[in-house]
Amino acid sequence: MDSFFRNTLGPTGWIIIAAIPPAIFALYFLKLKRQPLEVPSTYLWHRVIEDLHVNSLWQKLRRSLLLFLQLLIVGLAILALLRPGWQGQALQGQRFMFLVDNSASMSSTDTPSGRTRLEEAKQRVGALVDQLGSDMSAMIITFAGQPDVVQEFTDNRRLLREALDRIEPTASQTDLTGALELADGFANPGRITIEDADLEVDVTEQQDVELYIFSDGRFRGVEGFSLGNLQPLFLPIGTFEAENLAITAFNTRRAEDRPEMQQAFVQVSNFSEHEQQTVVELYLNDNLLDAAELVVPPGNVASTTFSLSGQIEGKLRAKLDLPPDFQDRLALDNQAFEALENRREGRVLFVTPGNNTLEAALSTERVSRLAAIETITPEALNLPKYQEQSLSEDYDLVIFDQCAPEKMPLANTLFIGRLPPLDEWKKESSSEKQFGPQIIDWDRSHPLLNLIELGNLAIYDSYVVRPPAGGRVLVDSTVGPIFAIAPRDRYEDAVFGFEIVGKNEEGATTFNTNWSRKLSFPSFWLNVLEYFARGDAVSRSVKPGRLVELRVNSTDEKLVVELPNGETREIDLEQPGRLVFHETEQLGVYEVRDSNGVVKRFGVNLFDRDESDIGLRARQEGEDGVTVVDSLAIGYVDVAAQSPTSPVRKELWKWLLLGALVVLVLEWYIYNRRVYV
Amino acid sequence: MPIAKESNLLSPELLAQLERLELVTRKVFRGRMKGERRSKRKGQSVEFADFRNYVAGDDLRLLDWNLYARLEKLIIKLFLEEEDLHFYTLIDASLSMDFGSPTKLEYAKQLAAALAFIGLIRADRVRIETLAQGVSERGPVWRGRPSVWRMLQQMEAIEPEGQTSLATGVKNFCHRNPGRGIVVFISDLMDKDGYETALKYFVSHQVDCFVIHLLSQEELEPDVKGDLRLVDCEDQDEAEVTVSAPLMKRYHQTLNSFTKGAQEFCSRRGMHYLLANNQVPVETVVASHLRRRGLVR
Repeated sequence: MDSFFRNTLGPTGWIIIAAIPPAIFALYFLKLKRQPLEVPSTYLWHRVIEDLHVNSLWQKLRRSLLLFLQLLIVGLAILALLRPGWQGQALQGQRFMFLVDNSASMSSTDTPSGRTRLEEAKQRVGALVDQLGSDMSAMIITFAGQPDVVQEFTDNRRLLREALDRIEPTASQTDLTGALELADGFANPGRITIEDADLEVDVTEQQDVELYIFSDGRFRGVEGFSLGNLQPLFLPIGTFEAENLAITAFNTRRAEDRPEMQQAFVQVSNFSEHEQQTVVELYLNDNLLDAAELVVPPGNVASTTFSLSGQIEGKLRAKLDLPPDFQDRLALDNQAFEALENRREGRVLFVTPGNNTLEAALSTERVSRLAAIETITPEALNLPKYQEQSLSEDYDLVIFDQCAPEKMPLANTLFIGRLPPLDEWKKESSSEKQFGPQIIDWDRSHPLLNLIELGNLAIYDSYVVRPPAGGRVLVDSTVGPIFAIAPRDRYEDAVFGFEIVGKNEEGATTFNTNWSRKLSFPSFWLNVLEYFARGDAVSRSVKPGRLVELRVNSTDEKLVVELPNGETREIDLEQPGRLVFHETEQLGVYEVRDSNGVVKRFGVNLFDRDESDIGLRARQEGEDGVTVVDSLAIGYVDVAAQSPTSPVRKELWKWLLLGALVVLVLEWYIYNRRVYV
Repeated sequence: MPIAKESNLLSPELLAQLERLELVTRKVFRGRMKGERRSKRKGQSVEFADFRNYVAGDDLRLLDWNLYARLEKLIIKLFLEEEDLHFYTLIDASLSMDFGSPTKLEYAKQLAAALAFIGLIRADRVRIETLAQGVSERGPVWRGRPSVWRMLQQMEAIEPEGQTSLATGVKNFCHRNPGRGIVVFISDLMDKDGYETALKYFVSHQVDCFVIHLLSQEELEPDVKGDLRLVDCEDQDEAEVTVSAPLMKRYHQTLNSFTKGAQEFCSRRGMHYLLANNQVPVETVVASHLRRRGLVR
């Protein structure tokens, strides 16, 4: 089936065929018996022949040209009988769309030729492009995290092949839906329907588009999508046996029991049929720090924890040292990256004339792990030391209890029972305290009020605080908002309309609310510190191709981001201190620098069990809507997988017979015209 | 004219045309009998030549009485003698001439008859011979219009026969006919030994020689194809050819050089050469081609 030649005749047939060329030879020599013709005189003819004898070799060649041509005809016929041909796919249709998956799992090297799945897919698309007829057009779309039109509809095969060469593997996850929607946009151009007397009429000509999906199918089926004119064909790429070991989680955090220490956590998944033993190596700035051996059960995970000193910082990298006999087909997920920063403890300035309950809430051990609290009296606000600190971003948060500064500090602020000295706040809010507000509702989705229960809270009196534009009311009461938060440059100001403790006319300390006796009170202050004073308690990894939003401690308007491969990108900040970066296709650690040096690092990792589980999956009992190798579910349509080698065989015999016919005509012409060469 | 009707060699129209013509020679030969041609000899004609003194025995009719009256001397007036011309046609009647349509021999006979007719009506001595004749086999000599019929009879009796070497035939002809005159030699000149020896005999015989090189259309534009064995009809010699475009090109080159060679050979030796094709009507050849060559006027 796969051989180039295919025998069509039995032995007898071949014997007869083999006898033809000698027969032609024999006939050719017999043919030399010439017809006699009487002429007046051979006088001139003899002279002619004498002349021609001078180049008799050429003459002989000329004479045997017909013989050669006859043998050529027989040779072509014999070759045609052998039916030479090769495997190929016959394209049927007018318009084609090739959807090529270039997600992380397509970098697996489990194809028979040892190339990556993407290379295999590109080669198959190339073979299809070669078969495009002159009246066919095609386009190429890649899909991973984001669909990308590599080449729009064209009948220019050169353009298509060039576009194919441009396709690069990515480390992203697979998202077929986006690609399908994009394809839908091209295939069903302007599904314009005119509603006329309850009758919908399609006004655009609908043309079927053959949709070839080249993928390893490591994604969920697509739901709620209508194919329209798209005629999908799913061509799975890859093998069932592909094995892979992957790091599926890697992060660092402060040790719970020893806050001065950091811990690195590594999880390894085994996507193979057998138990695997592997060594996880941990590198800091490419220097080996530690290593641990892990035994991972088949289809399961194993994890280990490394202890690190609390002071180190840099690029942390976990790497799998694979067993020698293990054929790991996907190299992308054998490494994981993490930015290790010597996180500065949060610093909080607590300005209060005296507030025992709050001070107590801010003096727990848990709080001390989050931030360092500094307490001063309102009078100290006028000291030059504070003036200096408020301008140098020394604090992450300043809490103003029963007082307000003349000028807002360069920090996040929390006001208790006072309004900030800003017109935006004062303009909207009431200048008089309202008596006895009852809390109606509070914003449970905001991190500050995370897991906080504010029902049954009694408040004596409160200002109504209305945040300026961009702000958010967090607690609403019968008199109006009493707790709100609003951004100010790159900081945020939270304002309580009510005091927790206050002073009456006699100067005695009074309780304005019973909140301090509730369980939610200390929890709220922990939330405050977590939200304002600390960055991420646990570092979070970024998925490749996703947008990154970072708060950076820099006043520069331009920052430089160094990619893992050493290239740099200059980013103009729209807002000081907020970096938005989207070029995160590469796996590794990204460094953000300003004029003074590194201000931030972040790691980009695959961490996707679906992408790392690279073996093709056969359909199992009770599985629907999951993409497996037999089919691909798009909407309600189950697209059956096509066999990788289509049974269509490209045959040459027609062309060979045509060639023989041409030679025959040529021979006839030469014989009749007596024209040689 | 009854004679012409009986012969298919000469049509009445041709005869009418020929009657206006006469044979011309650039050389002046001595004739045997009084003819219509000016001779070196003095004789009786209307053209005055000279005077001389009367000697006893002279014809008194030739005395110029006017001079006698003036000078009292007997002076005889001499007139140029008009003589007849020897006109020979030598026809190559070998088997190779029996080809073509009309056959070359047929054509040659027509041509010869036409020329002989011109000679006869101008009172020239006409003799028709073929190459195959032996040294002693002299043909009859015809003279005067009444001989036309017999001349045509003799002409029609000529049949293609055997192979004759050109050289031998011409040599025999020269031996048979020592007299000078005009010789019209009609042949295809296809002799494996070459035509040069034969033509040289004419030169040495000091005759005014016209070589009419007669080729059939089949020889000029052979219509042959395929692989052939060509057989010579005279000596059965064979030539194997595979006809092809280059071969035909080569044949034409050879034919061209053959005719050109013959023409050059003739013109160098003071002979007239005319290449005739059996497809060209005889009257055209006589009235146009030969007239231009100066054989007739």
